[in-house]
Amino acid sequence: MATASLANGLVCPAPHAASDRVQLGHGSGGKMSAALLRDRFLPLFDNPVLRQLGDGAVVPVPTGEIAVSTDTFVVSPIEFPGGNIGSLAVHGTVNDLAMMGARPRYLSAGFVLEEGLPFDVLDRVVAAMAEAVRSAGIILVTGDTKVVERGRAEGLYVNTTGVGIMDARFRPRPDGVRPGDVLLVSGPIARHGMAIMSAREGIAFEAQIESDSASLVPLVERLREHVGSDVRALRDPTRGGVASALNELAAASGVGVVIEERAVRIPGPVAAACEMLGLDPLYVANEGVLVAFVAPAAAPRALAALRSHPLGAEAEIAGRAVPDHAGLVALRTLAGSTRVVDMLPGDQLPRIC
Amino acid sequence: MKYLSEYRDAGIIRGLVERIRREATRRWVLMEVCGGQTHTIVKQGLDEMLGEAVEMIHGPGCPVCVTPLEQIDKALLLAQDPSVIFTSFGDMLRVPGSECDLQQVRARGGQVRVVYSPLDALELAIRNPDRHIVFFAVGFETTAPANAMAVWRARELGVPNFSVLVSHVTVPPAMTAILEAPDNRVQGFLAAGHVCTVMGWKEYEPIAERYRVPIVVTGFEPVDILEGIHLAVQQLESGRHEVENQYVRSVRRDGTVPARSLVEQVFHLVDRKWRGIGEIPRSGLGLRPEFADFDAEFRFGLRELAVDEPAECRAGDVLRGKIKPFECPAFGTLCTPERPLGAPMVSSEGACAAYFNYGRMRRAVNRGALSPVASESR
Amino acid sequence: MCLGIPGRVVARRDDRGLPMGVVDFGGVRRECCLAYVADEVAEGDFVIVHVGFAISKVDEAEARRTYEVLRELSQLDELDWMREVAEQGLGAIGPGSAPAGGGA
Repeated sequence: MATASLANGLVCPAPHAASDRVQLGHGSGGKMSAALLRDRFLPLFDNPVLRQLGDGAVVPVPTGEIAVSTDTFVVSPIEFPGGNIGSLAVHGTVNDLAMMGARPRYLSAGFVLEEGLPFDVLDRVVAAMAEAVRSAGIILVTGDTKVVERGRAEGLYVNTTGVGIMDARFRPRPDGVRPGDVLLVSGPIARHGMAIMSAREGIAFEAQIESDSASLVPLVERLREHVGSDVRALRDPTRGGVASALNELAAASGVGVVIEERAVRIPGPVAAACEMLGLDPLYVANEGVLVAFVAPAAAPRALAALRSHPLGAEAEIAGRAVPDHAGLVALRTLAGSTRVVDMLPGDQLPRIC
Repeated sequence: MKYLSEYRDAGIIRGLVERIRREATRRWVLMEVCGGQTHTIVKQGLDEMLGEAVEMIHGPGCPVCVTPLEQIDKALLLAQDPSVIFTSFGDMLRVPGSECDLQQVRARGGQVRVVYSPLDALELAIRNPDRHIVFFAVGFETTAPANAMAVWRARELGVPNFSVLVSHVTVPPAMTAILEAPDNRVQGFLAAGHVCTVMGWKEYEPIAERYRVPIVVTGFEPVDILEGIHLAVQQLESGRHEVENQYVRSVRRDGTVPARSLVEQVFHLVDRKWRGIGEIPRSGLGLRPEFADFDAEFRFGLRELAVDEPAECRAGDVLRGKIKPFECPAFGTLCTPERPLGAPMVSSEGACAAYFNYGRMRRAVNRGALSPVASESR
Repeated sequence: MCLGIPGRVVARRDDRGLPMGVVDFGGVRRECCLAYVADEVAEGDFVIVHVGFAISKVDEAEARRTYEVLRELSQLDELDWMREVAEQGLGAIGPGSAPAGGGA
């Protein structure tokens, strides 16, 4: 417990030097901030760049182009089956870089902590981030922490910005899809969104559903190596699910897309949870899945490349781009009929009707 | 999932479609009452598969679509009260009121939460004694037992900070209203399987008799719906007009008696306005006076609001099957899923939303490779 | 009305006098109120659940019986359809191209 001491400077009221929660003082830039950084962040991310603790980071880059991507993570609850906001924040940005064909290298992290956030929660989030950084083969080079009053941040928000190195020979692009290109989906869908739902107050249910949050870099590397420039477009279907990602690609490329219901893999408990809440799995978020359009001749190679890694073990050829109904995504149902899979105006909500 | 997945069997679906197409000697017009049934029909493309054999008119069986504008406005008022946590099923969040919707109220700082069950809302009240929890008790007879239990338990456990905003409707009066309309084209009904799970099917027998229409109590999976349609077509082909039960795994003639019993203790029949249709006498459920303490309209002194619906919105005609959504002048122009004028464009199985998504495909394919209309993009 | 799904009762308990139970929906479990089916339902039975309430017990015998009828009919139809297709020399056409038997 705290004993007010002159070592903290003459401050009134004397701060609790030891407490189990984040306080406003931790974001002030003073001694408490420094202690937070020193004790709870730096040891887990330690690397030569970060050790310099400059206002920013100076890092080497090769000639050519770099890719930059940023994302802010506000998921609630911040801890969920299969991960937490920390691992999500790293994987999310790393994956965005990978979808552009870049090799992720550096990451920054900006935290907004809510006053009262228990330290053990923060420690778990930071530990998960550190592990995600390590496994993605990148380093955290700079960061920032702010603390806001109770009630203003639902525990914790984090922004990550990533830098990756572009490869001139591997440039998947949203507008790169051509009629005839084959669609692949790297794994079972809807796991992340339903894992979040299962932990949400007022909805909560028990299920063996874990978020699939993971770095997609290994899968992209295999595609780069075995398929190369025959990969026309890549996307990680996060918010809005596979349906939204395909709609975006269809619109950007000016093609129609047909997806086969029977090729879409949905784990049993995920499907059951969707039934219970009246949700369509095609619109539920994923964090460890990618969709790829590849040139037709390259499709078998691409499938084999994805399947050669555990993350892609259940990859499937799921459809194709077509010259018809440009910008629209159509689903061929199990029964053989066809329907449009549109973008939703907003979030999908549980329904009773 | 057992008792669910097998009712999606592609072979049985195709078989039933074949039978219906073979056995229909003319184009029959059927109405499925329930929004969940509409959802399946549109999602599985069943009406596409049935082709010329059957025309399905989507009925008003969507409590979201028929919740009157006044009740939405009362919900919005309550949600804006800083002492209230307003809880609701997800369906209601985007339904437009006169000025805005619940999601927009939430964006402006109102405490609005989605719950899965009315008991979750009660639990929230127990755990947050310093706030008042209002639950939006919407639905057909299927949901009335759940809402009744929440109120019953609140009284039993003595929970002072809980009340419900009621907007319940019942199916039989709506069916009658549709059949009474001079331009009615509906020749047979698929009755709502879960409404009838609770209520049984006795109250449909006089309707079938009086209006000489087959009424088949039908489930919600593609096989259920097709089987229901098949039974209806068989009746029409042989000149019969009876109540039949397709959904045998869930529905009995008397329904679920304990559920009906509690509903009768907590609610009574009232006149209810149906959005876009108007008032249908004794078509709604309201809380009995002895439960006034749990009636949000009573607790918060909400006056009778009189609200006019937007002139361009033809939701009423769509819900009654008088026009198809694309025959409404506002369809796809003034009224889209992003900016809905009325509830059938909001709800995922509202007829207008269903046509908007599904119909675009048909029209785009018919025109060839054409880019989508600008107003349809995000 | 609408969203009701079948699940198996795996546990029953009493919550301050209200019969509750844990229902398993294909691997997802949730607590549901069993008050309306309390007298009919035991562990292992299936119920239809709507907004966290069991509204009926699934009549498994009836379900089996009617499903068998449907399945047989559809197999007859499938054979008919395939014969028609062969007679018209249309080959593999139509939605999803006919598999040999009932799908799923």
